[in-house]
Amino acid sequence: MSRYRIPGHGRVDHGAPVSFIFDGKTYQGLRGDTVASALLANGVHLMGRSFKYHRPRGTVTAGSEEPNALIGTSRGPGRFEPNTRATVQELRKGLVTESQNKWPRLSFDIGAINDRAYMLFSAGFYYKTFMWPKSFWDKVYEPFIRSAAGLGKSPTENDPDRYAARYLHTDLLIVGGGPAGIASALVAAKSGARVVLVDENPEMGGALLSDPSVMIDGAPAWEWLDTSLTELRAAGVRLMTRTTAIGYYHQNFVGLCERLTDHLDTPPADAPRERMWRVRADQVVLAQGALEKPLVFDGNDRPGVMLAGSAQTYLNRYGVRVGDNPAVLTCHDSAYHAAFDLADAGSRIAAIIDTRRDVRPDLTDAAAQRGIRVMQGHTATGTKGRLRIKSVRVNPVQDDAVGKPVEIACDALLMSGGWTPSLHLFSHTKGSLAWDADSNTFLPDRRTEACQIAGAGRGLWGFGPVLEDGVNAGLAAIEALSRSGNPRDLPVQNDRLGTGVSHTELPTDLSAGKAKAFVDFQNDVTAKDLRLAVREGMRSIEHVKRYTTNGMATDQGKMSNINGLMIAADALAKQPPQVGLTTFRPPYTPTSFGAFAGYLRGQTFQLTRTTPIDPWAEANGAVFEPVAQWRRGWYFPKPGEDMHAAVARECRATRASVGIFDASTLGKIEVAGPDAVEFMNRMYTNPWTKLAPGRCRYGLLLGEDGFIRDDGVIGRLSSDLFHVTTTTGGAARVLNMMEDYLQTEWPDLNVWLTSTTEQWATVALNGPNALALLKPLVEGVDWDDFPHMSVAECSVAGLPARLFRLSFTGEVGFEVNVPARHGLALWTALIEAGKPYDICPYGTEAMHVLRAEKGYIIVGQDTDGTVTPQDAGLDWAIGKAKPDFVGKRSLSRPDIVAKGRKQLVGLLTEDGSKLEEGAQIVLDPNQPLPMKMVGHVTSSYDSAALGHPIAMAVIEGGHDRMGEVVHIPMPDGVRRARITSTVFYDPTGERLKA
Amino acid sequence: MTTQKHDFAAPVQIEELAPAARLSLRVRPDHRAVLADALGLDLPARIGDRAASDGREALCLGPDEWLILAPEAADLIAAAAAVYPTAPHSLTEISDREITLHLSGPSVLDLLATCCPRDVGALAVGRGCRTVFDSATVTLWRDGPAVFRMDVWRSFLPHVRNLMALAEAELATGL
Repeated sequence: MSRYRIPGHGRVDHGAPVSFIFDGKTYQGLRGDTVASALLANGVHLMGRSFKYHRPRGTVTAGSEEPNALIGTSRGPGRFEPNTRATVQELRKGLVTESQNKWPRLSFDIGAINDRAYMLFSAGFYYKTFMWPKSFWDKVYEPFIRSAAGLGKSPTENDPDRYAARYLHTDLLIVGGGPAGIASALVAAKSGARVVLVDENPEMGGALLSDPSVMIDGAPAWEWLDTSLTELRAAGVRLMTRTTAIGYYHQNFVGLCERLTDHLDTPPADAPRERMWRVRADQVVLAQGALEKPLVFDGNDRPGVMLAGSAQTYLNRYGVRVGDNPAVLTCHDSAYHAAFDLADAGSRIAAIIDTRRDVRPDLTDAAAQRGIRVMQGHTATGTKGRLRIKSVRVNPVQDDAVGKPVEIACDALLMSGGWTPSLHLFSHTKGSLAWDADSNTFLPDRRTEACQIAGAGRGLWGFGPVLEDGVNAGLAAIEALSRSGNPRDLPVQNDRLGTGVSHTELPTDLSAGKAKAFVDFQNDVTAKDLRLAVREGMRSIEHVKRYTTNGMATDQGKMSNINGLMIAADALAKQPPQVGLTTFRPPYTPTSFGAFAGYLRGQTFQLTRTTPIDPWAEANGAVFEPVAQWRRGWYFPKPGEDMHAAVARECRATRASVGIFDASTLGKIEVAGPDAVEFMNRMYTNPWTKLAPGRCRYGLLLGEDGFIRDDGVIGRLSSDLFHVTTTTGGAARVLNMMEDYLQTEWPDLNVWLTSTTEQWATVALNGPNALALLKPLVEGVDWDDFPHMSVAECSVAGLPARLFRLSFTGEVGFEVNVPARHGLALWTALIEAGKPYDICPYGTEAMHVLRAEKGYIIVGQDTDGTVTPQDAGLDWAIGKAKPDFVGKRSLSRPDIVAKGRKQLVGLLTEDGSKLEEGAQIVLDPNQPLPMKMVGHVTSSYDSAALGHPIAMAVIEGGHDRMGEVVHIPMPDGVRRARITSTVFYDPTGERLKA
Repeated sequence: MTTQKHDFAAPVQIEELAPAARLSLRVRPDHRAVLADALGLDLPARIGDRAASDGREALCLGPDEWLILAPEAADLIAAAAAVYPTAPHSLTEISDREITLHLSGPSVLDLLATCCPRDVGALAVGRGCRTVFDSATVTLWRDGPAVFRMDVWRSFLPHVRNLMALAEAELATGL
């Protein structure tokens, strides 16, 4: 047992030693320790090197705000995490940790040369040092900055852990399980409201855990804590520890990150490492407490210099004395209690150095009783000690004059610059802050969300006032929930009330320009840097922050923001509120990517939809491609075939005999009601009134702007019922657009829309033998009255079906729709029946080629949201006699009817080469750069049927340029291509008439 | 009727129910009673309310929208067609559009809370709602304190099942 650990003291389990490794050396700690407390118990203060100057650093705090003690932790293969805060990481068996930002070792680090050259690294050094010569940027400066930037090593392996997510709804969420939060919960729980109390620590209690001598309601603090937590549990309050409220969003939506397994010796298999809770609370109580401020003086970053309140925490919570003879440097009463507790625990307090001339007599008396020297009206002007503080240089201050120094030997220096209310979550809500000149701090002011702020988080000090405030916040919350509660008296004895003053840099008799008085420890920002930034013209705190990087470290300014603001305001000779405070943004503390990702990784990263026929495609070697949310069979290669060969074979087989295609992903919408035809007339460009039941028609859908939005074949099943098909990707969008018009523009129409995309599985048959194959399987169709563009309800292969005769290939074609559960049965029946015809399954690529050979467009490929029906050569699909349809007016706009719009045409290269989709087109390849681009290639394929490649393109004035040659500049030379019709194959449509 | 074995010790049981007839009824409120008569089934007017009789069930999903379940669709379709001239409506069969999961067990609310942003615990037994499970639109029927049915669009089911499998494994660890 180390002499720094006090047997039996604190909340750690003295009977449960836990060994762990730090920088290759094995240490012993106790169950309940953090890495930081265990190292301190072993007398180790040096835990890391700073970012810029590589200065040796120890732990400054005992909590999640720690800026210095960042370590790498490893929980086995693939489970390395950089920048873990040693003050948060709980000890567990076999934990392997290492310090960061040092080479070759922590105690001797070559990078510390930066510390000697600190004049080069002053505020804004990035902008000054790396400016010239310009040619150095790519080869020298950027690689240098990149290699120097960042703390710790990035993990190189995929994170093997699971992460979870949960939604939670509650009446009241209380953030912070300290005295204020617990008091709120106690009164709220009695009201019957659902209450959730969260705290980032492994146990509830907050400041009570560090102050056991306080008596609450007649009981010692820790006994009261136990009783209260038992009462809360019994009342059904959900207590969540190791759970950080990371962000406070609109309408009382709060994100919580719960750490589930990092503290366990052997986590259960499949257990998630962390869980992100998305909480919707009717009321929120923010009881986050306050963070202690460092003091700013030369050498305030030396290992062994830490916050007084944190030293008190190490003592009372972990049973660890941070030193044998610590000195205390303070401007706030609270540090006296740290000194007293340490003195009572056996440390010899070197001195209490108080910047204030006047100190409460009871405090000085209590110090005197313990034989502690109190030096009132003193400043600290330096520290000594290479890897650990050895002494502090102290001077008296009289009427702003700094007197002669004395050296006070110490092995730790406990500082307190006062306390800053933790305003982070409140600031996330954009609640406004008010400057409190008395306490020199910002306090929460106008609230934008249904929340209460209680305790030290709104500037109160002392357990009595904080508990009372917590009760009141709890009562206010339940009142807002229209519930009633009773006040609760929580009298406090031995309270540790206190006040303090606030400082910028402490006064010094030495050159302020040479002082390394740190404000942001992790980013190595000194007071001098902040003043330099102001001298160089930074006026707003936001500019000062970015110029100096103050507050941009992983602690997000928890240590540095207020000190930085006070110094910048002083330099600007303005009041702090006039300089402003930088914006707090979520997350409150560093949060793993895994917690944000939750379940959305690997197989469940994103939804992938599959059709009922997908299993057959998979079993038959399909290569898939994603189309919108779907995965679709792209092509079906036979052994030895590449994509090109497979697609060519599929196209040839379809045109030669019959091909079969899974078209189930097409969107389907049932449009039903007496006004169905009127609705169709208004939505689509085409006329529908004269379309007889049992017939179908190609439908074109525009936006109000007159541009093509979607298309598809639509069948009229009865006078009041249409079966609309949409593109695969457009299904949801089209239904939404239709519903929008129906509900907002035409609520008088008696028509209703139902998505039936997934009701039906759809199989397309195309080819000269499609009819012969299908006919024997169909019952209920009068083939004498079933020409191209017909639809019938019938049975196919014994299954109830909607049969469409239509073609997207130019061959005789059918689409058979059957209830989805029968999709696979239909497919296999057709494959079986198609064997005599050498039926060939084809994928989306062959489908694209076959339709392009016929000049059929694909919305979204040959159109880009700026193509009108005229541009696409689809004027024929417009019902010109109709009074109106969506987009009709736009089609007569001057720019829409003007000459020179980009129009869809065919392209054939003169050298027979295949063009690249997306390639830009010019009229004159010899014009000077930049060339005028008149259009681009939208579709391009090798055509097996034609024996050469084909392409479609949009070209300015393309319809008037038939036969002209255009040029497509490519990296390997300029291609020449002739403009043609888009219908490359069977232009007269003979093949449809089987 | 189910595709999985029961494991009553598990925190949740997830079963796929055999298909039954499912229809989407859309009708203006003033014709609601006519359709209710024709279908022999009350059509509750409050969104989320349900009615049941003779093995048929109705769930009100919107001011003019009901989801109807029945052993067979044909009778309902014929009965509704008979009143169409006086009470125009849309009755569309969607039996195959969704697949229904039966979810039960002591941790079923936690299972739902993994991916459903709604306060499912506040959904009263005997009511239903349309909501989402992760990115999938689902209809949720609460049949008991710890018993739900969830209608999931067919193609979304594998994603939903994969997520539920992760949640099941997580619930089994007790963490």
